[in-house]
Amino acid sequence: MGMASMSSGTESLRLCVFDLRRGQHEGQELDKILFFYPPDLTFSTQLSVIGLSEGLITFTRLFSPEAACEVIEAERHSHVFYEAEPDIWMVMIVEKNKEIEAVWRIDALRRVLKEVHSLFVMFQGSIRALLEKEPTGGLVRSHLYPFITDYLNDLFVGKKQQLPSFRDTLKERGTVQMLTLARDAALEVQSLVGVLDSCAGTVRCHSVILFHDLLVSTTLSPDDTVDLFAFSVMRLTTNALSSGTSSWSYLRKGSGSPQISSRSTTVPPLGSGGTLPSGNGSSTGRVIRPLQHDKWSKGKDGFLVTDIWGLDATPTILIQKTQESFYLLTYQYKSLTLVLLVPIAAIVNGELDISFVKQQVIENASTKILKVEEKLSKGWGGENAYHVSGYRYLLVDNDMEVSRASPPGKVATLAKESLLALNKLREEVDTEKNRSKQEKDMEICIRAKNNTWVIARLNRGKELYMALEKASETLLDATDSVQRFSNRYCSGAFPMD
Amino acid sequence: MATSDSRSSPSSSDTEFADPNPSSDPETNSERVQSQLESMNLSQPSEVSDGSHTEFSGGGDDNDDEVASANGNEGGVSNGGLLREGVAGTSGGEVLLRAENPVEMEAGEEPPSPTSSGYDGERGSSGGATSTYKADDGSEDEIREANVDGDTASQHEAAWLPGKRHVDEDDASTSWRKRKKHFFILSNSGKPIYSRYGDEHKLAGFSATLQAIISFVENGGDRVNLVKAGNHQVVFLVKGPIYLVCISCTDETYEYLRGQLDLLYGQMILILTKSIDRCFEKNAKFDMTPLLGGTDAVFSSLVHSFSWNPATFLHAYTCLPLPYALRQATGTILQEVCASGVLFSLLMCRHKVVSLAGAQKASLHPDDLLLLSNFVMSSESFRTSESFSPICLPRYNAQAFLHAYVHFFDDDTYVILLTTRSDAFHHLKDCRVRLEAVLLKSNILSVVQRSIAEGGMRVEDVPIDRRRRSSTTNQEQDSPGPDISVGTGGPFGLWHFMYRSIYLDQYISSEFSPPVTSHRQQKSLYRAYQKLYASMHVKGLGPHKTQYRRDENYTLLCWVTPDFELYAAFDPLADKAMAIKICNQVCQRVKDVENEVFLQGASPFSW
Repeated sequence: MGMASMSSGTESLRLCVFDLRRGQHEGQELDKILFFYPPDLTFSTQLSVIGLSEGLITFTRLFSPEAACEVIEAERHSHVFYEAEPDIWMVMIVEKNKEIEAVWRIDALRRVLKEVHSLFVMFQGSIRALLEKEPTGGLVRSHLYPFITDYLNDLFVGKKQQLPSFRDTLKERGTVQMLTLARDAALEVQSLVGVLDSCAGTVRCHSVILFHDLLVSTTLSPDDTVDLFAFSVMRLTTNALSSGTSSWSYLRKGSGSPQISSRSTTVPPLGSGGTLPSGNGSSTGRVIRPLQHDKWSKGKDGFLVTDIWGLDATPTILIQKTQESFYLLTYQYKSLTLVLLVPIAAIVNGELDISFVKQQVIENASTKILKVEEKLSKGWGGENAYHVSGYRYLLVDNDMEVSRASPPGKVATLAKESLLALNKLREEVDTEKNRSKQEKDMEICIRAKNNTWVIARLNRGKELYMALEKASETLLDATDSVQRFSNRYCSGAFPMD
Repeated sequence: MATSDSRSSPSSSDTEFADPNPSSDPETNSERVQSQLESMNLSQPSEVSDGSHTEFSGGGDDNDDEVASANGNEGGVSNGGLLREGVAGTSGGEVLLRAENPVEMEAGEEPPSPTSSGYDGERGSSGGATSTYKADDGSEDEIREANVDGDTASQHEAAWLPGKRHVDEDDASTSWRKRKKHFFILSNSGKPIYSRYGDEHKLAGFSATLQAIISFVENGGDRVNLVKAGNHQVVFLVKGPIYLVCISCTDETYEYLRGQLDLLYGQMILILTKSIDRCFEKNAKFDMTPLLGGTDAVFSSLVHSFSWNPATFLHAYTCLPLPYALRQATGTILQEVCASGVLFSLLMCRHKVVSLAGAQKASLHPDDLLLLSNFVMSSESFRTSESFSPICLPRYNAQAFLHAYVHFFDDDTYVILLTTRSDAFHHLKDCRVRLEAVLLKSNILSVVQRSIAEGGMRVEDVPIDRRRRSSTTNQEQDSPGPDISVGTGGPFGLWHFMYRSIYLDQYISSEFSPPVTSHRQQKSLYRAYQKLYASMHVKGLGPHKTQYRRDENYTLLCWVTPDFELYAAFDPLADKAMAIKICNQVCQRVKDVENEVFLQGASPFSW
């Protein structure tokens, strides 16, 4: 009955995408729904979730026309809203449960929605554009369904879904993690990027280079880098290819055995069953699943291959900044992953030209690639390279969309109370940030009940979050520690006096 | 400027709205929300509670005649048997504020912007706990953007007046939607009971929408607490058949807004008792508004206190500073009164306690004290004659009426005697006469007046440890202490502090000093304190031990121990090490004078 089944159901996650411009007439409400997870819920339940969401969007606009509903906090659930495109809303409903540590930070959950949408747009273009292309909605439904389910699979570890909880409070989704380069390595990388840029002749290519799961270099805008970086770490890097092995990036939690898609085969996606007033998806041709698992492997020539886009078909992606389409080529050498973006305009003869570009990369860049890999491997400190003894930290640069954090293994040594206190502090800071239009300059140091210092420091678009468990008990000592950290690792970006 | 001409009621200013900003779209949005909520139930139409909201669909039309009673005169109409004459007497939106204060107002101090007003940051009080009332309601009453809908700034320059304003408005008015903070009380069938702005009857449709949201989530086996949208928070509180909702874009925490709804509910219970629930059990569509008629001033003054009275978030009360012996003497008399069968006897000065006593084992919760003093202070009738009226202390016993004997000795000082007996008027009157005789004899009332005039603790009085000071900051000249304080508050940038004694459930707050002088600055400081308080007392985690917080406005320090909590505000550029030292000195200073600023356990309250 209505939402009642939500409480009795075992699903602790619901996610829906709907379009407020559709289904405005009575009896056509189902037309609004573009995606719903879990898909096996009855339509009336789905409608009740969307009805509540839509009702509150309309209601909050009475008072806050410029920013409609962002979150509903109920006793047992949080409903997180994200207006992905004008009038296209994504809503995630998560169950709160202290016992299973389901304590969330809303902003972290919203970043999940933002990420899945950005990735979708990168591969398939905007939802609105797909709706305009095919107004019945069948096309967009048939694309959203496998895409989001494949994405959600990454959040499942075994049967348990692992949304970013308070344990992930020292992580920032939607940012890039960078490798720090020594000067000589940086020069080598620069020279390699130069070669990659001109691999397609006169038309300039873009490149994104990763070492393990860290970014080495990019020629894209920060936003586009974030999306491509996220995808690379999810599917392309050496760690991603050997999926199932240890992963230390938050982007790749899932095992190789998808939980959801196995079931999805039994449940037809919305819009394809003919139960809807909209057209069905089967007429729209083959649906590509860019996030499908276990579909990438390394070819003999060092380039990664996949049949996701069809046999011998090269993937294409859309770059936000220029709205240009690019072929995506990925070359891998040991732990070094090079993502090369070739403008579609530069490729006249399809796969023939692409082979030529690949050949150019191998001919012109091989030695440089070897050299870069060698230098990076030599300076590579391993997974714990960015551990700073005594500190558990997260450093975010909002302008560059870059973050660096204590390694997850080290963060896991913090007491639960410390993580909860820091999570709460981050929530407070999120509120302050959302309220103030300009960049905040603030400092909050809290000595929690368990004597841990949890600290937030914001300055000029940069943010530092920290938990100090064994620090001395005085505020001055704690802030001295932060000051030392700031001086040593952040070029003094966080003055503490 | 406010005058005590009570008949020019605050709400009369509404007439300046020639056009109450009718919504541009014919179908009001709130109706749309409802239809959306309804549409979710296509398959189970029976789900939406009892669908009673439909009966309000025409609610906006039939109330034009009621606007005429904007002065609140309906107060006397139908108080039924539940209400005493006291409340009825407050009808007419009488201005509670005596003429005592307007003179002090420094109306020119602030620019006449929509968020400013002629509040005077009166100094004769401790931490605003008594900072009288003449304050404006500050920005909440304001429309967020100036000139959006022709609302004039002029009305905002007036002093804060109790009673309802903007009665002309309803949810179709742009001005109404732009009010910074709304409070609603409604019944679970969607009938409006109270709205801070606008006429309740005209808001019937809106009220039904709120009910629909709450019951929709409830039908799903959950309970909605908060909806966030941009800077707006919609906070819900369900108390049996009573729903309370706050819609606010003020920079306050969810926890505090919820606490405010709780107090609002408590104020309602104080007037009606929780037995009101039974009326709803008998008849779900029971109309409660007549029972609360004439109490607009009580609610509006409570809402106003959310922005100036720290008791509303500290859940502690504050005392008027008095020599120890005098307070003890007063306590002894009050205790004697209690021994004669009185449950509680209180001598109050405005919102501050002079002394209080309770019968054995009876304890008074600080929230009850807050609601009680708000009720007495905001109801004009109590001032004009001695009164005997039923009230309920929600924390003490929400089910039962007590009987309160109230008598004002002068404009500020009054006695409240609470008894369980409805026939005790003459006995209580006798008690009061005896009490008054002692107070006059021992000159206590004039000492109280002097204390009001002198004010409480000041940051300028916090001693400076010269030795330490000169050793740490060499450039500081050896000028005498007071000099460095001029214009900058206390030593080393100390602007303000609040100290809460945990065992006593009391707090002391320093007087406002420059630069925190305007009402807007004071309110902003309280908001900062509220956030700090919420941050320290996180549910399930807190209380934390220490917090240092600096932003562009303040440096704030908080220190929570098993004995006390200290909240201190400094200049944002204050030196951290010095601020810590000053906090220690403040604590020491409070301990030195604790016998004068706190009521020391005459009768131990254990709650």
